[in-house]
Amino acid sequence: MRYGMVIDLKRCIGCYACQIACKAENATPPGVLFARVVKREIGTYPKVRRMSLPLLCMHCADPPCVKVCPTEASFKRPDGIVDIDADKCVGCRYCMMACPYGSRFYYGEEQHYFDGGGLTPYEEKGYRNHPTGVVMKCNFCAHRVERSEQPACVANCPAKARIFGDLEDPESEVSRLIVERAGTQLLPERGTNPSVYYLSP
Amino acid sequence: MLEASATNGKTDDVWIPSACRICYSHCAIRVHRVDGVVVKIEGNPDSPANKGRICARGLSGMMQLYDPKRLNVPLKRTNPNKGIGVDPGWVEITWEEALDTIAERLKKTRAEDPRKLLCAASVAVWDAMHVNLCFTTAFGSPNYFFTGAGTHCGNAEHLMSGVLHGAFTCQPDPDYCKYLLNFGVPVGCGAHYANNAMAQRLADARVNGMRHVVIDPWMGMAAEKADEWIPIRPGTDSAMALAMLNVILNDLGIYDVEHLKHHTNGPYLIGGDGHYVRHSKSGKPLVWDAASGQAKEFDDASVGDFALEGTYSANGVSAQPAFALLKEHVQRYTPEIASEITTVPAATIRRIAKEFAEAARVGSTIVIDGKTLPYRPASVVYFKGSQGHRHATLSAMAFELLGEVLGAANVPGATLGANSRSLGFPETGRPAYSPFADRDGLCAPGAWVTPDPPLPLRQSRKPEAAHFQDLVSTVCVCSPLIPFGMLEPEKYGIPYKVDMVIQTGSNLVTTLADPRVMERALRGAFVVNFNIFLDESAELADIMLPDASYLERHDIYLESMHSIVPTGWWHSTVAQPIVEPMYQRRPAQEMLLELARRAGMLGDMYSVMNVFYGLHEPYLLDPNETYTWEEVIDRRYKSLFGPERGLEWFKKHGVLSWPKKVEETYWAPFVKVRAPIYFEFLQTAGEDIERVKKECGIQEFETSDFQPLPDWKPCQSHVEPRKDFDLYCLYYRVPFHTFTSTYNNPWLDEISRIDPYVYNVTMNTETARKKGIADGDWIEIESAGTGVTAKGRVRVSQCVHPEVIAVGSGGGHWSRHLPVASQSEKGVCFEWLLPLNFDYVDTVSFNQDLCVKVKATRMAEQPRKTGTGWTVAPVPPGLLP
Repeated sequence: MRYGMVIDLKRCIGCYACQIACKAENATPPGVLFARVVKREIGTYPKVRRMSLPLLCMHCADPPCVKVCPTEASFKRPDGIVDIDADKCVGCRYCMMACPYGSRFYYGEEQHYFDGGGLTPYEEKGYRNHPTGVVMKCNFCAHRVERSEQPACVANCPAKARIFGDLEDPESEVSRLIVERAGTQLLPERGTNPSVYYLSP
Repeated sequence: MLEASATNGKTDDVWIPSACRICYSHCAIRVHRVDGVVVKIEGNPDSPANKGRICARGLSGMMQLYDPKRLNVPLKRTNPNKGIGVDPGWVEITWEEALDTIAERLKKTRAEDPRKLLCAASVAVWDAMHVNLCFTTAFGSPNYFFTGAGTHCGNAEHLMSGVLHGAFTCQPDPDYCKYLLNFGVPVGCGAHYANNAMAQRLADARVNGMRHVVIDPWMGMAAEKADEWIPIRPGTDSAMALAMLNVILNDLGIYDVEHLKHHTNGPYLIGGDGHYVRHSKSGKPLVWDAASGQAKEFDDASVGDFALEGTYSANGVSAQPAFALLKEHVQRYTPEIASEITTVPAATIRRIAKEFAEAARVGSTIVIDGKTLPYRPASVVYFKGSQGHRHATLSAMAFELLGEVLGAANVPGATLGANSRSLGFPETGRPAYSPFADRDGLCAPGAWVTPDPPLPLRQSRKPEAAHFQDLVSTVCVCSPLIPFGMLEPEKYGIPYKVDMVIQTGSNLVTTLADPRVMERALRGAFVVNFNIFLDESAELADIMLPDASYLERHDIYLESMHSIVPTGWWHSTVAQPIVEPMYQRRPAQEMLLELARRAGMLGDMYSVMNVFYGLHEPYLLDPNETYTWEEVIDRRYKSLFGPERGLEWFKKHGVLSWPKKVEETYWAPFVKVRAPIYFEFLQTAGEDIERVKKECGIQEFETSDFQPLPDWKPCQSHVEPRKDFDLYCLYYRVPFHTFTSTYNNPWLDEISRIDPYVYNVTMNTETARKKGIADGDWIEIESAGTGVTAKGRVRVSQCVHPEVIAVGSGGGHWSRHLPVASQSEKGVCFEWLLPLNFDYVDTVSFNQDLCVKVKATRMAEQPRKTGTGWTVAPVPPGLLP
């Protein structure tokens, strides 16, 4: 079992719904984006394309963040999900320097979205799960996966651009798509072997 | 199926089915409430439209619900000086005082002249907008105003959709379209109607090989996803469309003869005066029957062969079939001439014309559900941008004709009217409506959002309404000219002055055009606003009433918007309160009913609602009784879906759905109406308006665009004489905002900060270089139209036409009660640059021109950054190309 995700850039419409679906599911504080979308222009007018690239933790098979963690707070589960044990995290942020994908976020002190407005009732409930002084990241919505649901960004994607499944199962949709559509990983030269694959636009 | 029920043993832990109201797509949602707090909003998987998926806005609804800057109590102004940026001096009042004060004003106004009341509501509060309309009508005033982006959106598209597709708007057929020719619509790309439903379906279409060509001065989301982006000079799309028509009709000779003969007015004989040649007794338009060699009425069953070309003598005059005139008319639009106008290479125009015409596969058929139908897998779509110009109707006409001559309308693969035809829920047969033939056999829509469908053509009348839709009888949605009817009624012979305005959910000052005009118009009236915020328009209100948000109220579902995915399933939903309205917030719908009661007009209100909501016995509202808003909704549902399916059923089950029939989705072969390819009725309307103008001595409302065939004509921006105003400034629709109403939502603000374009003004890299402007520089943008100078920060980009700067819609707030939105680096309020006058409005549809010439200069002194403390870490360098 190795959980992984395929993001079909032909389907993706760069709408940021993954970013907000993640935020709503995990009640992440301001500036913390387990899922996000970045946009880049490629080419020169009028021969130009623009790419919307959704990013999240790549759940690398060989995760550099885990290697550098001095307290074993960052760990890789048998199902391939890379996660952080907040109780063990000392907030040293070595993992953030090691991650080539910018997928980790340090939550130093409590933040809230409305300046001067205090925490909203939603934030009061949601932020209880987030201790400060630690690093946070996507864990493929492990709490959902454990009850046989898809990660929030996958379940909600309006263009159905995200597919979640077992990379080790050759019959799974993710495995099939990676083969059929020649899925690629980000920064393969770094040797991290990400579990997130992209299909070309 | 999802049902509202407790999911575990805790006291309050429920998922409640409802419907989103953060935009007008009204996706089905389910909302998780724990201990009285909304903790999650998801798409409702029971919905066959959005199928459990919603957009960034819908997901972030609780950040609007719990926004600490929401308006929570009724307020009245103490400062008699009204103006933009002037503190009204709000003091809190009770609902009792507010309602009594308003009811007294209403009674006085109604006794004097009910027409003095104007009710305005935004399409962003769709349900309240219709209660407003009922209120206005019951009151006895013709002055309703659908605001928000109404005048910006698709007045001309709606007009053309009505007469060509029998529907309020159109969508491409997501199931069968193989070639989507898109004049700048973000369809299926986060915006446009039914965006989440269309996103899934058009993503399927992309994967399945649909070719998508987008013509747009700015690379919007649709262009990003397209196979080909063709940048074009703003306001010239119709020149390209006309040249394509010329290539298709005259060079390639590809057109759908059967369709033109039987489903359009192509065979109608046109005399030298441009009008139909009519039968001397019946008055019906004549056609030439080539089989018998004589002129006959268009609906004469004995016509053997409708002539489409040639010159004939009928009723003693020389006449030609309309199609022949169209074919000849477009000859002047060579690709070379169009290229000069549009900046699109002539070879590209020829190539796209050929690709599109061939993709339509004229003559082919397909069998769906056992029915053989024409198969035309080519669709044209256009909306706000390409038709958002002075000559909007003529542009829309040109776009539509591309599909219509190929028979690519309301058949599989083509452009489809969105819900043109409903045969009803199987158990009740309701709602039932269908396009029907007007007296000339043309397509009149069976259902319409406003009281003013485009056909059957209304007679022009002396202006009685401040919106002038009685004088200009072709306007079928709403009017940006309302401020002029309010400010100078005597000039147009309007026999009263609007002195009371009720606004619901609309930010009129920042969503029409030049805010100073609306400021003047609202100064002269007693203004009551229902809103969830103290927005910019609140500065001109006398009383502010705290509306409930969509998570705190019941909303009736009106089928015109939510099921707008053209294929698949019908479905109905309800919005219900997930939490009780907090503080003193109360739903505008309920309060409008209460105001009607206090003003002594409740019975009239019920009578109007009975008609508007299509209520039937035994669910008709009795004018002598009193009903809650929930009871009205309940009766509406029971009228449509039978006694078992009232409000309680919907609150429990969330979604009622049933499959669309082939005869509904692909209705063209099943309904005997003809689409105009020659818009004779516009010429008639124009002559009619001229007659009334003469009678009333009105100078404005010139009618040169009331012509039967399309032309490209320059807009104000194209004829700006001052050379230093060298850039076209336009705004584009930000897919994750609803007009101005979501800019204080911090989650959406977070996206807007990350997105390269939303809060910046986008300028072509090379253009910026020539002007000495670098990425991130602040510039002054001076409008040739308003003389106002706005400030914005530049994002240089390869994704925009060199003559254009593009502004994201809805930003540039200044209300101090919207602290997230009202920060100097958060966009430009485009409306400051956009004139509000007769030169910037399409004379046929009243579509607002959305483009203005500007001068852009780098600010000598660059402002320092302000704003909130937290930031988002950038993506590591090297990760992306």
